[in-house]
Amino acid sequence: MEKPKPHVGPDNILFWEGCKRHQLVFQKCTSCGHVRWPPSHICPLCHAFATEEVVSAGRGKIYSYVVYHFAYHPALVEELPYVVALVELEEGPRILSNIVGENLSDLDCELPVELIWDEQGEIPLPKFRVRRP
Amino acid sequence: MLKMLASMNADDAVFGHFGAAAGYALAARRAMYEFGTGPETWKHIAIGQRKWANLNPRAVMYGKPLTEEDYYRSPWVVEPFRRADNCLITDGGRAIIVTTVERARDLKHPVVSIMGLGMHNPSAEVTVASHLTGPTGAKEASEQAFRMAGISREDVDACEIYDCFTYTVEITLQDYGFFKPGEGRDWFSGGTIEPGGRLPVNTSGGLLAEAYQMGLTPISEAVVQLQRRAGKRQVGPETGRKNYPEIILCSDNGGILQTHACYLLRRM
Repeated sequence: MEKPKPHVGPDNILFWEGCKRHQLVFQKCTSCGHVRWPPSHICPLCHAFATEEVVSAGRGKIYSYVVYHFAYHPALVEELPYVVALVELEEGPRILSNIVGENLSDLDCELPVELIWDEQGEIPLPKFRVRRP
Repeated sequence: MLKMLASMNADDAVFGHFGAAAGYALAARRAMYEFGTGPETWKHIAIGQRKWANLNPRAVMYGKPLTEEDYYRSPWVVEPFRRADNCLITDGGRAIIVTTVERARDLKHPVVSIMGLGMHNPSAEVTVASHLTGPTGAKEASEQAFRMAGISREDVDACEIYDCFTYTVEITLQDYGFFKPGEGRDWFSGGTIEPGGRLPVNTSGGLLAEAYQMGLTPISEAVVQLQRRAGKRQVGPETGRKNYPEIILCSDNGGILQTHACYLLRRM
């Protein structure tokens, strides 16, 4: 069974094309400098249209996380238990992703994390692991 | 079905993220970090509401008591939520008849009127939301409702709170000002919301234990309670309180704590 795949469309093509190059790309408002996620036509802070691209350094911290013990999709049964987290990147955006390779009992909010790439599908998926000093 | 599941959850599904339980669980986990809530608080909500359901023959969980041991043995769904923290899924239907007070006076049952209403919708997506640990829309919505009604929290005899998850009850009552962040554990302990408690909450069993009829579960129960038609679960002498309720506070919320409505009902 195939796992759910990204729905690439006009809104998020910048992000997913970036992933193909192993880059986490976001829109940055050229007017106020806000780096935004999810993608949008207009800056949610200053309502300006113009953007430039920024590539995240891939470092951040866990804002919150949950552990799935139930597979809502049959292709994910073998992944259980797995961790879904809101990762707050140093550049500002908070994105939804997975934390991998960590003991569940060691996880906590605010732990520093770093980007890794999951190469299992057609498009590499940005995931995170806990960053050790 | 799978296609629908994947498309409704858009790119969240790529990371194995689906639906409401996990969204609220993300909020609840952050609240555990920020103000020290958790299962120690939520168990009181699950157990207390189940006690109400066991006085309600129409409740799905009637005849199925929940002890503290049962709560902790309840399997994880999306941690930090156990099954006992999740609402039911229920087929059914409910209706509320809204009419003028004049017309209502001619009907069979006592009149229940709307004293105050408030709505506030933070709306933001869970990824960017700053309201997951409060204040949710509940704070502003309740302030509007109390202002319109011209009463205060102390005048409320019972609450019927939209309880999609145990944490929703905690954050809603916290944002309404019944206790300060993190003080829910003490506030709920000792049977506060249970039959005979200081502030009965979700007296039908609620969405957790009566039936998931969305926002109609809280409002229909409030009306039935104010009309004194609640049978064994009637707030009042039937369940160890001196007086029958005159004013009941209700809530509804939507999305992942993205919309909120608060309403105050009174027996006329």
